[in-house]
Amino acid sequence: MTRQRIALLLAVLVAASGVLPVLILAVLGLQILRQRGERASQEALQAIAEQAAARIATYIAQQREMLRAVGMAVGNQPDAPRRLADVALDAPSLGKLRLVSAETPRGVTPALKPEQIAAALRGTEVASDTYMAELSPALDVCVPSGRPGSAFCTTLDLLELQRQVQRIRVGEKGYALAFDRTGKLLAAGSGAMRAAVLSRDPVAESPLAAALLTGTAAPARLRNGEGLDVLAGWAALPALGWTIAVEQPADEALRGARTALGLLALGAAVTLLLSMAVGYVLVRRMLAALELEERFRTAGKIAAGVTHDLGHRLTILRQIEQLAAMNDPDYLPRIRESLATEVGTLRRFVSDFSDLTREAKPQDFLPIELNTFADSVLAGAQGYASEANVALELQRAPSELWVSGDRYLLERAALNLTRNAIEASKPGSRVRLRVDRSDGQAMLAVEDQGAGIPADRIATLFDSFSSTKRSGVHLGMGLPNVRRIVAAHGGAISVKSKPGEGTTFRLSLPVNGPHSSSPSAPATMP
Amino acid sequence: MKRSVRRLLLLTLVVGCTAPPGREPFVLRIAIWGPLGELAPVADDEALASLAQPWVFERLFNLDATGQLKPGLAARVERLSGQRVRLELRRDATFSDGSSVTEEDVARSLQAGGLQATQSGGGLIVAPLDSRSPVDALLLEARIFRQSHGKFVGSGPFAVVFQTETELRLTRRTPQAGHVNDVRLIAYPSTKDAFAHTLKGDANLIVDLESRWLEFFRGVPSLQIIQGGGRSTDAIAFNGALPRSERVQLARALEAQRVRELAYASAECAESSGTSDDGDGALAAGAALRVLSWGPFERLALATRRALGDRGGELSHVSPQETLVRMKSRDFDLVAVRPLRWPPSSMSLVWRTGAPHNFVGYSNPAVDRALDAGDWPAAESALREDPPGAFVCTRNQVAVVDVRIKNPVLGPYDLLETLPEWEIAQ
Repeated sequence: MTRQRIALLLAVLVAASGVLPVLILAVLGLQILRQRGERASQEALQAIAEQAAARIATYIAQQREMLRAVGMAVGNQPDAPRRLADVALDAPSLGKLRLVSAETPRGVTPALKPEQIAAALRGTEVASDTYMAELSPALDVCVPSGRPGSAFCTTLDLLELQRQVQRIRVGEKGYALAFDRTGKLLAAGSGAMRAAVLSRDPVAESPLAAALLTGTAAPARLRNGEGLDVLAGWAALPALGWTIAVEQPADEALRGARTALGLLALGAAVTLLLSMAVGYVLVRRMLAALELEERFRTAGKIAAGVTHDLGHRLTILRQIEQLAAMNDPDYLPRIRESLATEVGTLRRFVSDFSDLTREAKPQDFLPIELNTFADSVLAGAQGYASEANVALELQRAPSELWVSGDRYLLERAALNLTRNAIEASKPGSRVRLRVDRSDGQAMLAVEDQGAGIPADRIATLFDSFSSTKRSGVHLGMGLPNVRRIVAAHGGAISVKSKPGEGTTFRLSLPVNGPHSSSPSAPATMP
Repeated sequence: MKRSVRRLLLLTLVVGCTAPPGREPFVLRIAIWGPLGELAPVADDEALASLAQPWVFERLFNLDATGQLKPGLAARVERLSGQRVRLELRRDATFSDGSSVTEEDVARSLQAGGLQATQSGGGLIVAPLDSRSPVDALLLEARIFRQSHGKFVGSGPFAVVFQTETELRLTRRTPQAGHVNDVRLIAYPSTKDAFAHTLKGDANLIVDLESRWLEFFRGVPSLQIIQGGGRSTDAIAFNGALPRSERVQLARALEAQRVRELAYASAECAESSGTSDDGDGALAAGAALRVLSWGPFERLALATRRALGDRGGELSHVSPQETLVRMKSRDFDLVAVRPLRWPPSSMSLVWRTGAPHNFVGYSNPAVDRALDAGDWPAAESALREDPPGAFVCTRNQVAVVDVRIKNPVLGPYDLLETLPEWEIAQ
């Protein structure tokens, strides 16, 4: 993982852990505010509906009171018909007032039932339900005339009420609706729903409005006749048979809460990004400081290892020099042998360092057949194994197994594992290289029958400079370098060890598909 | 990979080249209530189809908003002595059946409108058949047509596509982008149905509305309310048998603002903003005056009777037919009427002795002389000296129309005569 990625991850973690709890708390708070806002909006709509209902009740009461007053004033006047006709000029809403008797033909007050008219002629004030006349709501009413066997009757024109309801506005889009006893619209503030006033078609609210008069509560939030989600306040006028609904689209009613939520989200996002940016810069600085310190520490370790190993070799070379200074021809074979050994040892020392500097570049990878590759490794380690009196054997995969990689680096890694295995083996024992395909991966295992690795060592086995072998050239860079090479090839390394029984290192690499499925393709052979 | 890219490119090409969802061509659907009747070039007040007259049958000339003549089917108009006019026709005019408009067609059409036309040196000399009738007013009423296969065809921008009892469809003869090209007149059985269908969107133009019903259309997003000046004035006509001095008093009393306020909603009348003599409305004692009303004039009649005070007599609200009979038999003292007031030449049709719309039998030689001379201010003055009635309220024409119409204008003469020029917002 690069320093940038680590810095970014740390910055995100720190910022998220700092900002998110605050954000969650704020969202919860706003949700509560939103619910309260919704309740407050509904209460306001309810209050408007109740006010409208009260105004309607007052208006009707005033009209009827005016009718009674006219009846009282005009009833016994000799020119009553003319005066009644003139009433239409001063109070158009009272309609055409007529003196009705038993002889008056039906139709003057079409909505009154015969028994109601009979009661009116007996001196009782009667009123019909509201109904739609040609274009406006109307109400038939009869009041006592003061003359026996007759009554003043008229059709009250409720156009003014219809106007009042239609003019109620809540916010920009809120409006009022008035329904009759059957739930049909009498007035609609919503232009789109106004056709239903005339067509008498039911709207979505119709059943709710009718039910409200029988005591059933209407919902405070509903889908209205236009298909909009609305908040609503309801009021009923049971005596008149009217229901008033005041509705406001929910998105408008709750705009404040929604805006606050939006601002909060924006603020949180900005804070989060800011925290991440600041965190990223700080973490990068810290990582740079740590890396510098780590480099010094690494350089110290390398220096210690080099000093130790070269010092050891230097001691041996000084002893050889002393032997050579004796000029004793008997020592010459031993001097020659020792020099050859030391030169080989120092060459390996240089090679190990050289391996550390070589990078695996995927664009340079070539197809490698793993059985053949294992043969090559086996041949390379054969001399070393013979010296140690350890037998080397190869267990090949049943078919060709192709991978893709830097052959030199992979061979260095495999040889490293093989030599380690040989070093760990007792004379006369065996080291086996095994090629196989497992879980879709190509696998090269190196197994020895040595003493095994203690469990507490395995955890740090691949850490740099952690070798405990100080008997020769062991910088402790071998296994970390093997892991680096394998990882650069998209693979992995694992180890299993049982004390007293031996150790198995497993290199797994991605199978190079087309080559594995057509192993005989000569054009791709390395 | 390559195949996916190819598919993606193909998909982009297909989506990019697919036509957008088709936009419905704009159709102007006019809601009317009552019998549709037949569309004919000769005015029939009962037939609502006559709304379409101005778009199908052209006039020889039209009026602009100030009452000035502007060319129609006639390219030139020249006033001659007396009640004679010389016209030259536009040469490019054709009827909707493709035939050219000839001077013979014009002469025949004018004859149906009470005018005679004689050819004279590449033009036509037009005069009224009845010398008492005003040539200007008759020319404004006359529409040019030809009968083709038993049907009337006109030279206007629209032609009838088909007609049923409840629908009349017209299309523009030469479609114009951004303009109304299709018009339908839809007759509904009642006002309520016409309003409901307009509110639902089945119709997008409704005319002849009372201002009290505008509330229905306010706040409807798809509609706009438009107004135009009225051509007629609600008036109380007097029986010619009443003495002139009494008629002068009556006119002063009934043209008062308080009568207007009682009879109409505030600001409904063009006269409301003008000054009015409200303090000098007392009538001399005399016999009770009977008031006759019909149709929409019940309230005006009530206000009139109240303004008459002690002289207010019996008020009869009867059918239009009975009103006409009683007017012709002079069986009334005062009657509610709606005479033409604009253009000024229309006075000739209403107040000249023996004029076709002079139902109350008014006769005033001074008025006749002024009208015959085309001196409209003098005619107005003479009418004020010897008033035929009290002119109470000139109500605006009100209509509700689709909000997409950019320049909806009513009138000035026929209510929807400017419809062919209406533009549609794209």
